[in-house]
Amino acid sequence: MYRTAARRLLGAGFTTSRLLRLPKPRPTTTIIPYSYCTSSMESPIGNQSVNPNQSDPTAAREEGHRRDESRKPRAEFQEEQARVLAASLRHVPRLGWTEEAMIAGSREVGVSPSIVGSFSRKEAALVEYFMDECLQLLIDRVDSGLDLQNLIPSERVSKLVRIRLEMQIPYMSKWPQALSIQAHPVNVPTSFKQRAMLVDEIWHTVGDGASDLDWYVKRTVLGGVYSATEIYMLTDDSPEYRDTWAFLDDRVKDAFDLKKSIQEAKYFAQDIGAGVGKSFQGLMNGVMQTMSTRGGRSSAF
Amino acid sequence: FSGFQQVKEEEKSKLVGNVFTNVASSYDIMNDVMSAGLHRLWKERLVGKLSPFAGMKHLDVAGGTGDVAFRIFDAVNSVKRRALRKVDEASIEETQIYVCDINPNMLNVGKQRAAERGLSDNRSLVWVEGDAEALSFDDDSMDGYTIAFGIRNVTHIEKALAEAYRVLKRGGRFLCLELSHVDIPVFKELYDLYSFQVIPNLGELIAGDRDSYQYLVESVRRFPPQERFAKMIGDAGFEKVEYENLVGGVVAIHSAIKL
Repeated sequence: MYRTAARRLLGAGFTTSRLLRLPKPRPTTTIIPYSYCTSSMESPIGNQSVNPNQSDPTAAREEGHRRDESRKPRAEFQEEQARVLAASLRHVPRLGWTEEAMIAGSREVGVSPSIVGSFSRKEAALVEYFMDECLQLLIDRVDSGLDLQNLIPSERVSKLVRIRLEMQIPYMSKWPQALSIQAHPVNVPTSFKQRAMLVDEIWHTVGDGASDLDWYVKRTVLGGVYSATEIYMLTDDSPEYRDTWAFLDDRVKDAFDLKKSIQEAKYFAQDIGAGVGKSFQGLMNGVMQTMSTRGGRSSAF
Repeated sequence: FSGFQQVKEEEKSKLVGNVFTNVASSYDIMNDVMSAGLHRLWKERLVGKLSPFAGMKHLDVAGGTGDVAFRIFDAVNSVKRRALRKVDEASIEETQIYVCDINPNMLNVGKQRAAERGLSDNRSLVWVEGDAEALSFDDDSMDGYTIAFGIRNVTHIEKALAEAYRVLKRGGRFLCLELSHVDIPVFKELYDLYSFQVIPNLGELIAGDRDSYQYLVESVRRFPPQERFAKMIGDAGFEKVEYENLVGGVVAIHSAIKL
């Protein structure tokens, strides 16, 4: 049931994360001569996302058969873009999340750097590709037998977040730039969606079965923990990021305690409400009595 | 003559040649007046979409007066950009922008403007006389191909597109800026009124040539609408064909990639 909630919240993009577990389909051999899509000045973000992971399986199903034909030749562009972005990642530690890195990447792949001009929101395309790749790696790690059996939920969450954050270590010097790119208003919808998918994946792996309001609370809380740890990591100098992992463990513990605290806060509020209600009622009774003895003929009450 | 007249193919290129010989000298002024200066913004957007890089080999077709070429040159060479992007001087030297036009008069205007900017000796800008349907460049030699307000004058659009496909490298970008079709109800009528009543009169007044501008306006109407043109681009072999309407469709930028 959480999946339907996820779909409501995140829309079409979410189902991709489930499908990431399946092998990618082979591209078909029929060559359709053209593919095109329209864009106006106000084209919706993500509508024409060329994110390679959000490719054919979801698209074909979601957008109906009519569009199906036009997707296949675009797949070649998606593949090419993925190749260029993958090669570009190697240049990021030196050149940052910039067009230069992508130009260098495209040269490596043997494609004209002009192709970079056609990526939507250029640097953001690179960052988003990286985020998707990391999520895919995380899923693969989990699928290939990560041992979580002997750990309590809070430790499982810690471990998964740690695995995911460790993927960013090679790019740590340029990660603040990636964060600022993700924070651009134009890029926020996509980066938010990617983080939501990540957080959801972690909870799903931990074995979460909640489906009510708790679902949103859990995702939000973990999102907060993840972001806080990510930012802490930027300024951490300790060997092997020991301080970051300690910070992470503390935050996760707080989060799990938070659940209890929220419950306690609810009871506390109820008690207060009852108390206040009683005293308010008493106040009103007193007022009315006073009015009637003094006014006599008053018909207000 | 009018653009709506059925003109024999060989004659079309001669007529177009005449149009632009007449038009060349006041071309820039007329552009400014007809579009109220907006054509500059459109060209800026075109070059923005191209994302020029240092060391690129670019071909601007039918760009005789050099508007687009100069913008690309500036984008690659601007000091600010160089400082920001840590580009080495060597790759800037390698940048080659070819300006190809069928009409030598237009090219001369372009060369003159280059001289005014002090760029007449610069090896990055190369002025070539040539036909969009039969380019003299090698296969797979260009990183970018632009054609701004030129493709509607080509007799065989498919040939021009095929040539564009031929000269582009793998990953190369095709960009076409062209007057296109407006569909928005009220605006369409206003635009038609402006086109048929105002522009030929302006042409008369400023360039002393009503007929050429009448031809211009009518040739815009004959040009395929956005979707059909996009299909033609795709048929030439390009991938990721997209278009963007500016000013409600008065102008459209089509873009595509060769893969």
